[in-house]
Amino acid sequence: MTKALLPRNTTRQAEGMSYGEVARILHRVSGAVIVLFVLVHMMVQAVWHVPAFAAAKAAAPWLKPLQEQNWIHAILFFAIAFHTFYGLKLLLGDLGIRIHYRTAFWSIVSVSILVGLREVLRYAGI
Amino acid sequence: MPSDIKLRAEVQRYDPSSDAAPRYETYEVAGKDNWRVLDVIRSIYENQCGDLAYQFACRAGRCGTCGVKVNGVPVLACQERCKPRMRIEPLTPFPVLRDLVVDRSEVEARYEKHGLAPKRKTPYAGGPESIAPQLAEELCRMDSCLACMVCVSGCPAVAERAFDGPAFMLKLRHMAKHPADTANRLKQAIEGGMLECFGCDLCTQLCPADLSPAQAIREFRRDLVFGGGRGHD
Repeated sequence: MTKALLPRNTTRQAEGMSYGEVARILHRVSGAVIVLFVLVHMMVQAVWHVPAFAAAKAAAPWLKPLQEQNWIHAILFFAIAFHTFYGLKLLLGDLGIRIHYRTAFWSIVSVSILVGLREVLRYAGI
Repeated sequence: MPSDIKLRAEVQRYDPSSDAAPRYETYEVAGKDNWRVLDVIRSIYENQCGDLAYQFACRAGRCGTCGVKVNGVPVLACQERCKPRMRIEPLTPFPVLRDLVVDRSEVEARYEKHGLAPKRKTPYAGGPESIAPQLAEELCRMDSCLACMVCVSGCPAVAERAFDGPAFMLKLRHMAKHPADTANRLKQAIEGGMLECFGCDLCTQLCPADLSPAQAIREFRRDLVFGGGRGHD
């Protein structure tokens, strides 16, 4: 804990970003994105590979171009990275280890963006 | 030099004895750009709306009575810099007595329930007791909590789950670290919903006294995982 300097001169709390709130919501959204992607992935694989769904495969010529959209994979990889690292941060918290909320937020978001960006570059053949 | 600015404040007005629901009234205030939110509220009260109910005592960020929500963020009104556009509301989730004044009866009852004085095995003998200087400093800092309920109002776990709130966890941790206290504060913290905390650190960010209730919760959880702390009843 940092030492309190009282009385304070001023605060601007209502102007800044609520790091914890944004991180918490992103954690939930990223979890939902992962579950949704796995669900859709299973359905798409079934359409591609199960003979019983051949009619569905023929009726969906847009499926292959959709699968090749790199931004979808970038979002997925961002979600996986963010969910993993923020979850690890929470686990470390349960062990009493403190990481400053602002440092943790920007570090995790930065690493997750890099992971997502890597997918874009991979699709671009770079 | 502070410059003149025009402020527009939407203030929640609500009298539970006569109003069916809260409403917002807009006030235009001519002020200075270095005014605090409390200065704006006082100006509204003195010049435009004499029946506006609000609360403050010290104006120096020490008493913790002037907590309000500004644009949805809980703050101390006497410390928060005013903004050209503000929506000022009472702290949630506490019942409103009138306008910006909330009923703190439940808060006081919870403090009383937790018994936040050292529970000794033997009666206090009187006189100063020996304590490590570093621990004394830490306890003194933890004891500087204003009980303003800004952290409780901002806590998303309080809004969603059965959780007393970060301020109470901080006080319980303060007692858990007190060398004279023998009560099982970890058990009390768990009963108070400590495990419901999301670990988001919003309480740390919002605390006007620069304390970290989230760290107090983390330390309780560490004790729970590793079996540390005092386990007496």
